[in-house]
Amino acid sequence: MNEKMKLLHLLRRGAKTLVQVQREKATSMLDFELKELENIFALLLLGGFVGIPSPPSPIAIELLPYLERELVVMFARTDMSVDPIGSLVGMLEID
Amino acid sequence: MVSPVSHKTAFFLGKGGVGKTTLSASFALTLARSGQKVLVASLDPAHNLGDALGSALKNEPLTVEPNLDAMEIDLETWINTYLEESRSQLKSTYSYNVTLNLDSLFKILKYSPGTEEYAVLWAIEDIHCRLSPLYDIVVLDTPPTALSLRFLSMPTISGLWVKELSKLRETILEKRSTLVRLNPESPVKESCLDKDDDKVYGKLSTIRQRLSMLEHLFQKESFINVIVNPDELSVTEALRIKDELDRLEIPISTICLNKKGVLNNEWHIHQSLAAIPMFSFDFESSGIRTRDQLIQLGTQHLVDTFLDKRSIPA
Repeated sequence: MNEKMKLLHLLRRGAKTLVQVQREKATSMLDFELKELENIFALLLLGGFVGIPSPPSPIAIELLPYLERELVVMFARTDMSVDPIGSLVGMLEID
Repeated sequence: MVSPVSHKTAFFLGKGGVGKTTLSASFALTLARSGQKVLVASLDPAHNLGDALGSALKNEPLTVEPNLDAMEIDLETWINTYLEESRSQLKSTYSYNVTLNLDSLFKILKYSPGTEEYAVLWAIEDIHCRLSPLYDIVVLDTPPTALSLRFLSMPTISGLWVKELSKLRETILEKRSTLVRLNPESPVKESCLDKDDDKVYGKLSTIRQRLSMLEHLFQKESFINVIVNPDELSVTEALRIKDELDRLEIPISTICLNKKGVLNNEWHIHQSLAAIPMFSFDFESSGIRTRDQLIQLGTQHLVDTFLDKRSIPA
């Protein structure tokens, strides 16, 4: 009985992991799009510092305390910017 | 019952040196001596309102005579207070403030484009919300044209930015909640998903409300006087002011021809300004040194027009 329970538990965990993998795969495009939007939002606000047309910097200053996630995404995207096509191809799982 | 138009704030605009401070001081004095409780404030970083009124003024209202308070806005203080507030808020929110190197960032921001115009806006907002209820009328002496037009246009331009940023934020929040609905284990679940909880969206809404309040003040509740001298340069600048204010839908209430008679050559006001009510003030060759001389400039007709306009039903 105990062995049966263990096996059942293992199967459940396996199925759960499988479902989660499928969920991650299904939402990867949406996740990518969301990160792009968050990156654009941060860039629009802070782009003035690198010459992109932006709203007056005091607006950016008022919002800056609440933009931690967007800044993290923006810095991560900056790292990715050396090979944007590579990361897009990776996301689309093209070999 | 219809309520009267609440023209409570009068602005004096024009080219540098045309007499904005003199006329705003004279206008405020005439109003105060006619029994209205008046605040006159200078927004010009190079103040001389205190010189015109013969009193040393500060960043807070000072009674210069019965019914008349005056102040000179210190933009530097406004900029520093604002940046300090934002900095302490940032430090309390971010765990990695050292990496951001906040001190050097804020040193740059002090001189960043838009900061001075915003400081003027914060000062006007403070006068409008905190001080204006204590007075019958507020008179604002503005900086020369370039800075004045920038701060007058700021609510409209920034309003557009904030509107677009709010739309983008709404899209982000929608995508986040869709993502979490499809994948409840997504790391995005730690972020805000709802407009009511999102501090960025809330802050954008607050900024939008503040800007639209100022836009409404400039467009609907202000008595805008543009000062010209009988010379081509000041009139050309007045035309530029009119074009810009037309674009911003801010109506000019009067044209004040100051220093009339200073030049003998033939001179005409431009056609597009001719339709606006005009008031003339003679050139005082001996200069204006006392408050009584300010009164003798003859702003009574201008004051009457302003008070009439205030009582017109909406």
